[in-house]
Amino acid sequence: MYACVYAPDCRATLSGPPGEPERLALKNVAQQFSPRYETHGDLVVIDVRGLDRLLGNARTVGEELRREAAERDLRAHVAVAGTQTAARVLAIAQPGLTLVEPGGEAEALAPIAIDVLGKIADRDQRSDCPEPRAPSPEPRASISAFKHWGLKTLGEIAALPAADLSARLGQQGLRWQSLARGDDDRPLVPDVADERFEASLDLEWPIEGLEPLSFVLTRLLEPLSIRLERRDRGVAVLHVHLRLVTKDVHARRLELPSPLRDVRALRTLALLDLESHPPASAVECVTVSIDPTPGRILQHTLFTRPHPTPEQLSTLLARLGAAMGQDRIGAAAVVDSYRPGVFAMRLFATSHSAHPAPPAPPAHASPALRRCRQPVPARVTIDAGGRPVRVTTDRRGFAGGSVQRAAGPWKTSGEWWRSAIAQGAGQAGGAGWDRDEWDVALSDGGAYRIFLDHLTHAWFIEAVID
Amino acid sequence: MAASLARASLESLLHTKKLGQTLTNGRHALGAEREQASTGHAGLDAHLHGGIPRGHVSELIGPRSSGRTALLLRLLAAATARGELVALVDALDMLDVESAAGAGIDLDRLLWVRGHVVPNPGLCRDLNQRALVQAVRALTLVLEAGNFGLVAFDVGEAPAEAIRRLPFTTWLRLHRMVEGSHTVCLLVGEGRLSRSPAGLTLHAPALRQAI
Repeated sequence: MYACVYAPDCRATLSGPPGEPERLALKNVAQQFSPRYETHGDLVVIDVRGLDRLLGNARTVGEELRREAAERDLRAHVAVAGTQTAARVLAIAQPGLTLVEPGGEAEALAPIAIDVLGKIADRDQRSDCPEPRAPSPEPRASISAFKHWGLKTLGEIAALPAADLSARLGQQGLRWQSLARGDDDRPLVPDVADERFEASLDLEWPIEGLEPLSFVLTRLLEPLSIRLERRDRGVAVLHVHLRLVTKDVHARRLELPSPLRDVRALRTLALLDLESHPPASAVECVTVSIDPTPGRILQHTLFTRPHPTPEQLSTLLARLGAAMGQDRIGAAAVVDSYRPGVFAMRLFATSHSAHPAPPAPPAHASPALRRCRQPVPARVTIDAGGRPVRVTTDRRGFAGGSVQRAAGPWKTSGEWWRSAIAQGAGQAGGAGWDRDEWDVALSDGGAYRIFLDHLTHAWFIEAVID
Repeated sequence: MAASLARASLESLLHTKKLGQTLTNGRHALGAEREQASTGHAGLDAHLHGGIPRGHVSELIGPRSSGRTALLLRLLAAATARGELVALVDALDMLDVESAAGAGIDLDRLLWVRGHVVPNPGLCRDLNQRALVQAVRALTLVLEAGNFGLVAFDVGEAPAEAIRRLPFTTWLRLHRMVEGSHTVCLLVGEGRLSRSPAGLTLHAPALRQAI
C-alpha cells in the first residue's frame, strides 16, 4: 500500500518551485510514518505497508496523514492505494482523503478527467521533480491526441487496445495508458538522508613529519571508504584539516578529477599535497571530511586492453606533478594560431573511452620536428641572393657546417600590433614575430629549420628536422 | 651426451630466468608467447616480424635527422589509434605538438612529461644532468603506474656523456619494471642505450631504407 500526500498550496503560495520550508514539512510528515518515502517537490509518496498493525486500516492511516499535515499548516490531498501511481494521480486529482482497495486502482482512476494528465506532465517537466515518471519528450502531444480522439476520462484511455495505441503514439502512449490504469512502471526509490563523511582523530602526542601522518590518514580513511562503498559513493573533494600545536588549522582541499574511494590512492594524494604544502608545526588533531559524489559505473570490455584506472592515473599525475612541476605534465593541445611552435597544455584526463575516435589521417606529410623551446643563436653566412650557405653556432651539440641543400624562405609574421603597443608603452620586446624561415641540410648530416628574425636581425636554429 | 645435457640444463636455466630469448633458437621457442605491438605500418611490421615486443625495453636509435622522431610519432599514433594510453617522457622538452598532431596522434591519450631544460646553464653544468635524472624518475613513475600501451623515453638530443653518467642499474631497473607487463618501453637516443634481452634495437636509418 502506498500513500501520497500532495500539498497544492506549496506552489500556490510561492512564485517558483515549492520553498524549502514546505518541502521540509512534507518530508517531516512522511518521516513520521515510514522511512521509505520519495519526495517530488510538493508531493510525497510513502510506503505504508505494515502500518495497519500499528495504526489501523487504510482510512485510519490516511486520516492520520491529513492530521499530521494539518499540524504543520499544510492543506493536503491524501490518497491511499495499492500502487504508488494510483495514489499519486488520485492525490493530484481529488482533494480530501481518497481510499482505494488493492486491485481497484483502475476502477478508481477511470472517472477522473483527462485534464489531470496535463497537470502531471507539467509537474514532471519542472526541474524540482528529479525523477520524471511520464515521458518528457512532448507529453502534451499525446494528451492533445487523446482529446482529439474524443477521450474524456482516464478509464477511456485505459480501455484502448495497447497495440493500436503503441502504433499511433509509440512508447509514450503506452506510458500514459499505464498511468491511467494505475500501474507502477518502477519501484519506489526511497530518499536517503544526507550523510556526512567525516572522521577525526585527536592525537595523544603531536606528530611531525608526513610518515607518521600517513598511518593516521589510513586509519581515518579506511572506515570512510567502507561507508562510501556501502552508499555507492566516491570522493569528489577531500578536505584535510590539521589542527596544529599552535592552535592554527592547516586546511587543504583536494579536488579529485574522478570519483575515488581507494584508501591507498586517497592517502597518497593527501600526502603528496601535504608534501608540497607542509604544516607549519606539529599536528595534534587530524580531521578528514569528504564531499561525496555518485560512484563510477565501469563496464570492462574483453576486447580492448585495460587502461590505467582513474585511481592510478590520479596518483601518477600527483606524483609527476610533485616531481616535475604541475606545468610540465599533461596533454598537449594544438592552438589555432600561426605563431611557430605555439601549443597549450591541458590536464590529462583520468578516464578515457575504451573505444578511440577513428584515427585522423595524417594532416600533411611534413617532417617531424624537434623544437628548441629557446631558439639557438646561429651565425649564418648568406650568398648574394640571400640564401644561407653556412650555419655555425657556439652551442655544444650543434656543430653546424656548410649548407648542402636549402629550401625557403617562408616569410611569416604576426601579432605585429602587439609589438607596436609594447613599443608605444615604452616596454622592451613584444609579442609579435616577423621572420624568414629556411629548411637547411648541413654538411654535419643534420637538417634544421633556421630563421632570420627581422625584429632583431639575427639568425636562430628553431628546430631539428628528424 | 654430457655436452647436450649441459646445454639443455643451461637453456632451462635461461628460460627460468626469463632469458630464453637470448638463445639462438629462442625466437622459435617462445615466438608464440611473444606479444607485439604493431607499428601501424605493414612493411615495418613485416620487417620486425610482427612489431615491437610488449613487456620489454626496446630502443630506437640513430643520428640526428635520421627519422627517429618521425618513427616515434608514428608508433605513438598507432598506439593511440588502438585506444591505448601512451606516455612520452620528453627529457629535453623538444616535442613539436604540430608534428605530433600531424602524425595522427590522439593528443588526449598522450601523457606528455616535459623535462626541465636550462638553455644556458652557465657555471652550473650539472643542471641539465639533473634534468635527465629527473626525467628518468618520471619514466619510473609512469612505468610503475602500469597499463600504458607505449611509454617512450626521448633523450635523442642529450649529450652522450650525460647519458653515460646515469647509473647502469637505471636500465636494469627499467627492464624489471616492464617485464611481464603489456607495455612497450621505448628508449630513443642517438646511440645504444639499453634493451631487454627480448627487446629490439631499431636503427632508424636502416629502417628507413627497409621501408
